[in-house]
Amino acid sequence: MRRWQLFTRGIVKENMVLVLMIGLCPALATSGTVRDGFGMGLAATFVLLFSNIIISLLRKKIPNEVRIPIFILVISTFVTIIDYFMQAFQPDLYRALGVFVPLIVVNCMILGRAEAFASKYSVLDATLDGLGVGLGFTLALTVMGAIREILGNGTFLGIVIFGEGFKKSPVIFMILPPGAFLVIGVLKALINKYVRKEIR
Amino acid sequence: MKDPALIFLGAFLVNNIILMRFLGLCPFFGVSTAVKTATGMGMAVIFVMTLASWITWIVYHAILLPFDLVFLRTATFILTIASLVQLVEMFLKKSFRTLYNALGIYLPLITTNCAILGITFLNIDNKFSLLNGTVFAIGTGFGFTLVIITFAAIRERLDLAPINPSMRGYPISFIAASLMALAFLGFSGLFGLT
Amino acid sequence: MTSTRQMVVTLCIVAVICSIVLSFVYAFTSPIITETKKNLTLNGLKEVINSQEFVEIIPDTLWRAVDSSGNDIGIVFRVFPQGYGGPIPITVGLDFDGKITGVRIASAAEGLKETPGLGVKITEPDFRKQFIDKCAPEVRLRADGGEIDAITAATISSRAVTEGIRKGIETYINYLKEKYDKGEVFPDAQQFVEVIKDTLWYAIVESDTIGIVFIGVTQGYVDCIKFIVGVDNNEKITGVDVVYSNETEGIGETICDEEFLNKFKEGMPEAITGATISSQALIDAVEENLQRFKEYLK
Repeated sequence: MRRWQLFTRGIVKENMVLVLMIGLCPALATSGTVRDGFGMGLAATFVLLFSNIIISLLRKKIPNEVRIPIFILVISTFVTIIDYFMQAFQPDLYRALGVFVPLIVVNCMILGRAEAFASKYSVLDATLDGLGVGLGFTLALTVMGAIREILGNGTFLGIVIFGEGFKKSPVIFMILPPGAFLVIGVLKALINKYVRKEIR
Repeated sequence: MKDPALIFLGAFLVNNIILMRFLGLCPFFGVSTAVKTATGMGMAVIFVMTLASWITWIVYHAILLPFDLVFLRTATFILTIASLVQLVEMFLKKSFRTLYNALGIYLPLITTNCAILGITFLNIDNKFSLLNGTVFAIGTGFGFTLVIITFAAIRERLDLAPINPSMRGYPISFIAASLMALAFLGFSGLFGLT
Repeated sequence: MTSTRQMVVTLCIVAVICSIVLSFVYAFTSPIITETKKNLTLNGLKEVINSQEFVEIIPDTLWRAVDSSGNDIGIVFRVFPQGYGGPIPITVGLDFDGKITGVRIASAAEGLKETPGLGVKITEPDFRKQFIDKCAPEVRLRADGGEIDAITAATISSRAVTEGIRKGIETYINYLKEKYDKGEVFPDAQQFVEVIKDTLWYAIVESDTIGIVFIGVTQGYVDCIKFIVGVDNNEKITGVDVVYSNETEGIGETICDEEFLNKFKEGMPEAITGATISSQALIDAVEENLQRFKEYLK
């Protein structure tokens, strides 16, 4: 049962973006549409998962004094991998995400997880943790992306939702920066009200 | 080459790093509780950002490009920045104690700040010369400082206001930031800038 | 407490392994990325003109559009006029009459920086289709005396696009005149300088004129025959090609056969048996024009 909790806590209870407020930059910047938010979430999850695995595998061999540079090396390697693979196979997504793909390397979520968890626990635990946290991150970004795309563009994944009339003049504010701040503010308030209560 | 003055204005206001580019949000929400701490953070950011953009520009054009190692850009830049901040901290501690006391505590926070790394990438992507890149970094730093100080002033007021418990803290801050971002949107088109 | 040596060694090993892994990734994905980029550009070009093959004339700026038989059907160019929020990437197709065949404007995802919801409407088909089949003088906003309707409340963006397209046409329309493939009949020449418009050119190698190329027209059996001839300074024919002909299929049209045309290089050939009228008309006309333009040979 402990293992299961390891996996699920990253999804809701300790959701990086909405509860712990970590990884805000990409969350706000790339959640303009469902595709962008989901894509970013998956990319970050890829890096988190594999960095966790490698760091956990090597945890007994890494000298404590230089652990941070080594974590950074490992993480940036996986970031570069997903960077080039995305350029090759998903150029549209890559262009939409822009500078935030390489910026995954400074996503506090990944370095934080490596330091606090992966370097101290077994590979299986690290994998579950990485998957859970990544899933939570992806979920948060996708939900934000959905809200912003539906209201701000009248579409969901490009499919027109409220009819052409709405699409011609949607709430553009939502797709723009102020909208991002507003959506996460309201979401956070809702989470505070309805979810945090249970944790207390 | 684009006019440095325009680049500065663009980075400072029109494409403000926090409110338009979404970079540097963690310190934005974390350190802006009081105007004094915000000022300190801002100064540190301007300093590190300029220095970092110099070093990474040189590394990119002198080492990565000529040796066809562009794919090592991400790893090289972040390690360079981390080392740079470490060195700066040690140097300040020894030689400029007062400055260290003012800025020092913020320096480690800046290392993983997406703003610094983001700017170094943007310098390359925008194909800036060393001069333009420096102006871009300074302008961005000032833009960061402007917004973080303003926001701290707002938050000092917010802390004293009667706010619904669910909204207190992050939510109301985000909404305040949303309104600030809306205001900054108005700068779009200034002097024909994006 | 690990020794400094151990720390440095571990760090170096990790760094080296990471670099090796990344160079493999780079080597693997690099060709795919280049290919994808090329296809992206190509798809953009195909959107504005009815062609599958393009020849780049000015890198990333001007292409010649070629149809399946290798004939030029027009050009495609790119312009980046300054809009409200930044440069607007526009791709325009132009046919040989100087008429626009298609207009493509980069979307916001591709870097368009116009006002969301307003200025970006320039990318919509309704606005863009106004440009099709128009010539340069018509490409102006109605307010400026032309035929293009601006988008309400997005005049700056609309005007930027319209002016940009028109100026692009004016800049690149000269490339349309490269209708005749002079290199085909005078392969040794590096460039050609027009002497008589659409009729006579000097063939040049490193600023020396080594011959001429001329166009002639004559009446064939069915219709007129238009041909192009290259002649070097020794009055020797370097090549003959038929630009236009409409003779009887299998009979008169044999004048287009390479076998026949190559004979000109060894002197005036005999008429083709069974296709005397067409072939003799061509032979006579080539000879006639050769005498006519002989004076231009050095």
